[in-house]
Formats: sequence, structure tokens, C-alpha cells
Amino acid sequence: MMLKVYRYKEGGEPRYDRFPIPVDKGMTVLDALFYARDEFDDGLAFRYSCRGAVCGTCAMLIDRVPRLACKTQVEALLKAEAAPRLAYSPALDLGGSFDPRREVLVEPLPNLTNQKDLVVDMREFFEKYRLITPTMKGAKVDKGQEYLLPKDDVRELERYTNCILCAACYSACPVNAVSPDFIGPAALAKLYRFAIDPREGRRMERLKLADVPEGWWGCEFHSNCVKVCPKGVPPNLAIGKAQKELRDIRERR
Amino acid sequence: MEEIAHYGALIIGGGLTGLRAALELTREGKEVAVLSKVHPLRSHSVAAQGGVNAALGNNKDAGEDSWRSHAFDTVKGSDYLADQDAVSILCREAPEAVLEMEHLGTVFSRDGSGRLAQRPFGGAGFPRTCYAADRTGHNLLHTLYERVIESNAHFYEDHFVTSLVVEKGEVVGCTAIDLKAGELTCFSSEALLLATGGFGRIYKHSTNAHLNTGEGAAMAMRAGAPLKDMEFVQFHPTTLFGTNILISEAARGEGGILLNSEEERFMSRYAPKYMELAPRDIVARAIQTEIDQGRGLPGGYVHLDLRHLGKERIGERLPGIRQISLDFVGVDPVESMVPVQPGQHYSMGGIEVGNDCATRLPGLFAAGECSCVSVHGANRLGGNSLLETLVFGRIAGASMARAMKGGRRASIGRRRADAERKRVEEIMSNKEGSYGPSVLRKGLKRVMTEHFGIFREERRMREGLAALRSLRAGLGNVQVHERDLGFNQSLVMALELRDMFLVAEAVAIGALAREESRGSHWRTDFPSRDDGRFLHHSLVFLKGEEMVLDSSPVRLGDFPVQERVY
Repeated sequence: MMLKVYRYKEGGEPRYDRFPIPVDKGMTVLDALFYARDEFDDGLAFRYSCRGAVCGTCAMLIDRVPRLACKTQVEALLKAEAAPRLAYSPALDLGGSFDPRREVLVEPLPNLTNQKDLVVDMREFFEKYRLITPTMKGAKVDKGQEYLLPKDDVRELERYTNCILCAACYSACPVNAVSPDFIGPAALAKLYRFAIDPREGRRMERLKLADVPEGWWGCEFHSNCVKVCPKGVPPNLAIGKAQKELRDIRERR
Repeated sequence: MEEIAHYGALIIGGGLTGLRAALELTREGKEVAVLSKVHPLRSHSVAAQGGVNAALGNNKDAGEDSWRSHAFDTVKGSDYLADQDAVSILCREAPEAVLEMEHLGTVFSRDGSGRLAQRPFGGAGFPRTCYAADRTGHNLLHTLYERVIESNAHFYEDHFVTSLVVEKGEVVGCTAIDLKAGELTCFSSEALLLATGGFGRIYKHSTNAHLNTGEGAAMAMRAGAPLKDMEFVQFHPTTLFGTNILISEAARGEGGILLNSEEERFMSRYAPKYMELAPRDIVARAIQTEIDQGRGLPGGYVHLDLRHLGKERIGERLPGIRQISLDFVGVDPVESMVPVQPGQHYSMGGIEVGNDCATRLPGLFAAGECSCVSVHGANRLGGNSLLETLVFGRIAGASMARAMKGGRRASIGRRRADAERKRVEEIMSNKEGSYGPSVLRKGLKRVMTEHFGIFREERRMREGLAALRSLRAGLGNVQVHERDLGFNQSLVMALELRDMFLVAEAVAIGALAREESRGSHWRTDFPSRDDGRFLHHSLVFLKGEEMVLDSSPVRLGDFPVQERVY
């Protein structure tokens, strides 16, 4: 297999390097990158941490789909298994061509500023996350007790607390590609998580926080977000529900 | 004088311990900076799965629970090496620590009445492990991060700390490389906390993140603080065969069973009463014994069978485990057995601290996995490490706040920064070098795995120690080709290597000296516990280039030392 990797250094021009990788069973794209760094080029820069698909560090564009490198099996890519069909976004094509049966194309996450090789600056993503004030301000409860929370509420909350903030959705979103002010699927899913938390009980206040064109109303429901989410979080669903609730309130007035 | 950033409190590490300490300090109105080589949410705490122990006693069907029962289980689990006053603090404060996280927003799993659900865990006499499905660490870490970013704490992400600055016997700051720019920066502090986690990556088979290379412990040792009980390395019984990704103890807590190649539920021969829920050291040894005696499956693993739990229960309680099995070995636990093998998981040992998280060096504190209070002794119980991060993270923050007098601005001499710059330059200018850092790193992992694994024996360990030293002698030959200092991960790896060797040697020296079997430390040549000679903690000091071994008494308490049977 040829690993075709996007290379970039500040001030320079981007280029692609090709590294021959012996593929064995179970090899992930992250393993392939380690192999390339150890054997061919010790300057190859990419982020990683847990290698178990829980920390959200190694999201990158693999065969033009944002995915976690640690979770993506090379053999599956070469067999073209399980590739999600994404709605067109100009940002997903960085210009690198590849033969999907012989090559694996690895590029940095789009819609974020590239810093070196596959490393992107995540600050913009986290600034938008912070815009939704992701801190629970619960009602007072006795120190020695928990808030009571029905299992069904937990189930609904978990759909969104499972987000690992890897930015795969942010990079796949066609709206983010053309409207830099759109706060993006991850931040909106996070906001929805707080809105529906009965322990906080500020549902409407939370929903109204993003009642703007750059918030809930920016979404065009291409649904790339849910297709690329490595954790199955459905930001499109949260956004749809939030929009409906806000619309209903307006109509009732 | 070197250009510096000054903060009253510096916290190295943005995992649960570091963030919990930061929260406490900001509540005390202190100025705090958190330095981490990654974004805090990428810390290894995020990967913790099964849960966090607290004697809430929510599970009324199981009878009455108490913090004292929790303490007894912890002390027995530790093979009586834990300091019992520290264990009391851990278990007494557990309910409040867990409930606080719930109040801050953590979405824990619930029972039918809406209260926190609690599940059985290894070595525990009561179902007292609170959990958020099998993503407890993720949920806790996100909650704490959400809380701390609201405060005035400063975050320095992508900052790799390279050394502590000691002046007149006091820790007054640290040096760090800003990974993006590749530049060395100095930070000064009144109180500095090491919350850098474990060192699992000195082993080949580890559940740990790639980050966990142990430089926190090594830095403390280089600054003059001793490491305690380093020989006690926890091997988790169930890591996914091949990748060694953690398969939570919760899988067994929920009813999963272990089978060998003959489809025998072999735990009945090792722990007839507790079976799969015996403490980790015992289950890991049992699995390894089965494999070593030819009853493992080809390649060296056993089966974890969850099929009888059914799709619904697996989906609700163990969704992460199911996903990991699907993603990494293509096995659906609903339909097939999961291949598991033991792997390095946790370090009970670490930087010696008192119950207030202070080290022997004024100005230096440590908490969490990189420290050793000791609440885990010779073997940690599942669910007690997340608890330790919350309880001792808070205590560390409070102790630091007390130690800070305010107003004092330490100056950091140019010499210190120059010495660190020189280290970097030496690696970067080594044109004669014969190999990259990964070569020595692989060698180190191989030696630790083969010579200081689950079963240990003097001759093998002596060979291992010699091999470690000869590999370490090659540090000067490590070469980094990449000239650019920005995001130069090979340079970081080369810098980490020296510290990995220090930590590895501390493990080796402790393991050789302890001629007994206790908890996770099993000597085939000394197969029983020897309280007469070894009911004490091991301490390792670094004096110049030499490691010197010493010991300190175990603080016993209400629970008399007994035989440990499950």
C-alpha cells in the first residue's frame, strides 16, 4: 500500500509524499503513519493520543472523509468498505488524487488552519465550543444527594455527551466550508445537550442562545456530521429538534 | 535572567487530577496555569471506562455499604501495603467527591429510581462502582474541563515540560517546550503540581495512551524527590488481544466470564469465591498461567464471554466495549467471544507524597497516578483510580493554596534554561547518530515486557537490568533528522526517552530488591508474601547517575494484616 500524505510547513508550499507500507491484519491508518515516521521521515507531524477512538485527537481527512486515524482499518479502506457517502463540500477536496485500491490518502482536517503536515490549529473549533457556555449551572441540590434523573433522560443526554470533540463533523460540514461564522455541528450538539438537561432546567434560555443565522438556522441538513461522527452523535437531529421547538414557540405567540 | 511567565500555581498535566486541582485553586482565588503536552481533553483520563467507587449504598438489595467496608476492600486489595490513614481519606471523601461531579454536570448512569446506579467491581464486597455506561472517564473529564474553562485558569496546551527548576532545595518552576514554535519557555511558581499520569508506555503491551511515558515521575526524581513502590505495576487482566485497548472490568462486573481454550471457566481454580471479580493481580496471573500452560488460544489469549448478557444489556451498560471490539478486532460481543490478554495498565508506585500531596521538596506537589500516597499499595482495585484523581486532586489544590503566600516572584536563572536548550541542541546536532529514538524505545519496551512482566525472577531481572543499562548507554547516539523545531515529535520522543529509562530502572531496582510476592509483584523464586522482611514501602532516589534504594514504614491502622484470599 502507498500512504500518500499531505506535507506542509509554515511559509512553504504544500506537497504530497508517498510512503510504501507493508499492510498487516488490523493495521490502522495511525499505525501506518507511525511506520512512515519511523522508517522514512522522522519529521512527519500528526496528532495522536489514546489510539482507542475515545480521546478525539487523531481526526484527519482519510480518503477525503474526516475520520479518526486510530480507528480506521487500512484493509477496509483498500476494499472500499464502509465509506460514507458525503454531501459535496468543496473543502473535502484538497487536490490530492489517489487510487483507492492501492493508496490511502491522508490530509489534514479541512475548515481549520493547517499548522504542519497533518496538524491543524484546533483553537477556532474550541472557541466556538466555548461560545455556547458549556458549563452546567444546575439548580441547588443538597450536598449529600444527587439530582434524580430518569433513565430515559440519561439515554437522550448520552447521545450528545458521547461527543469527543474531534472536529470530524466540523470539517465535513459543507456550511462550515463556506460560512466561517457558522458555529458548527459539534458546538450545536453540545448546546442541545445542555438545553435538554433537566438538572439545569434552562431549556428555552439555552435554545435561544443559538437562535441566530450562525447558530441553529445556519444548518442546511446535509447531514455529513452524523455520517462522519466516530461516536454516532447526531448533531443534525439536535439541530432539527431545536429549530422545531423555536418555531413552535413563535407560532404559538 | 530568563524571560518567564509567573503563576502562583503551576499544574503539569490536564487530566482529571490536574483539572480537579485547578478547580480547587481557582475557587481559592489563586492564579493557575495548566501545562499539558496535549489538549486537556486528550489526557488519558478520558479513556477510563468502568467507573468510580463510592460507598453511597444506593443498591439497597445488596445491604448496607459504608466507607469503612470500602476501606477494608481497598486495604485487602492492596495486599496490606496501602497506608491506611490515606485509604480512610480516599473512602470517606468518596461519596462527596462523586456527588460533586454529578452536581457539576456529569451524566452518570441511573437506577430505576433515578439515583446513581452502582455496579459490582473486582475485589469489592459491595456493588459500589458508579459509572457512566463504560465511558466514565470521558464524562468526568469533559465535566471538569467545562467547569475549569469558566474560571480564570490559563491553559498552555502543546507544552512539553522538560525539567523542574530547583533553587536552594525548593522547586520554583519548570522549563517547557512550546511544541508549536519549538521554543523553550520558563515558568515560575510558588507551588507546582505534577499530575502527569502513568508510565505504561515503557511496556510493549499497555492499555495506556501514547502519552504515558512517565516523565513526571522522572522529573521529580531528577529534582531530588524519591519514587515509592515502583515495582508495583498493574497488569489489567482483559485488554483486547493485539492492540491491548482496555476492555473494562465492568464487562465482568456486569456478568462476563472468562474461558480458556478448553472452554473451561478457569477462575474457579484461582479464586473460587470471587471468580472473575477477584482483584486484577489475581485474574491477570490466572490468565497468564492458562496461556503459559498451553490452555490459551493461538497467539496467546483467552476468551471473555458476554453473550449471555444479551444485546440490550450490552447496549446500555457496555456500549463502548462493544464498539471497541467491533472496530478493532471485528468481533461483536453480542454474538461472539472477545479475545483478551493481560497488559500493563496502571502504576501503583510513583512520586512519594504525604496525605496532603506534598513531596519532600518545598514547592513541589504530586497527585494522581504519577504519585504514590499510597492508597493502592501493591494492587489497585478497579474504580479506585478515578476516585483518587477526584479526592487527591482536590486535596492537592487545597494544599497548594495553603502553601502559597503570594507576592513572591521567583526568578529563574538563565543557567537552567540554557542547560535545557543545550540538551535539545545536543540531540538536534547529533549528526553521527546511528538510529532514531524509536529504536531504543522498542528495545526498552521489549526488555520491560520480557523481564519485568507479570511473573518475575531474579536471574531474568538481572539480565533485564543489564540490558536496560546498555540500551540507556545508547541515548547519546539517538539522532533526529528533522531540522524544523515546530511540532518535532521525534525530538519530543528523544527527550521522553531519557525519562522512560529512568522510570524503567526504578521499576527494575525495586522489583529486584523485593524478594517476596505481594499484590501485582509476583516472584516465581519467592512465591509468598514476607511481612517480616518486606511490609514496607520501597523508595528510590537518584543520586548523581546512581539509583539508591531505601525504605519507609507502612502506616497500618484498623485493619490487621491477614492472609489475602478471594
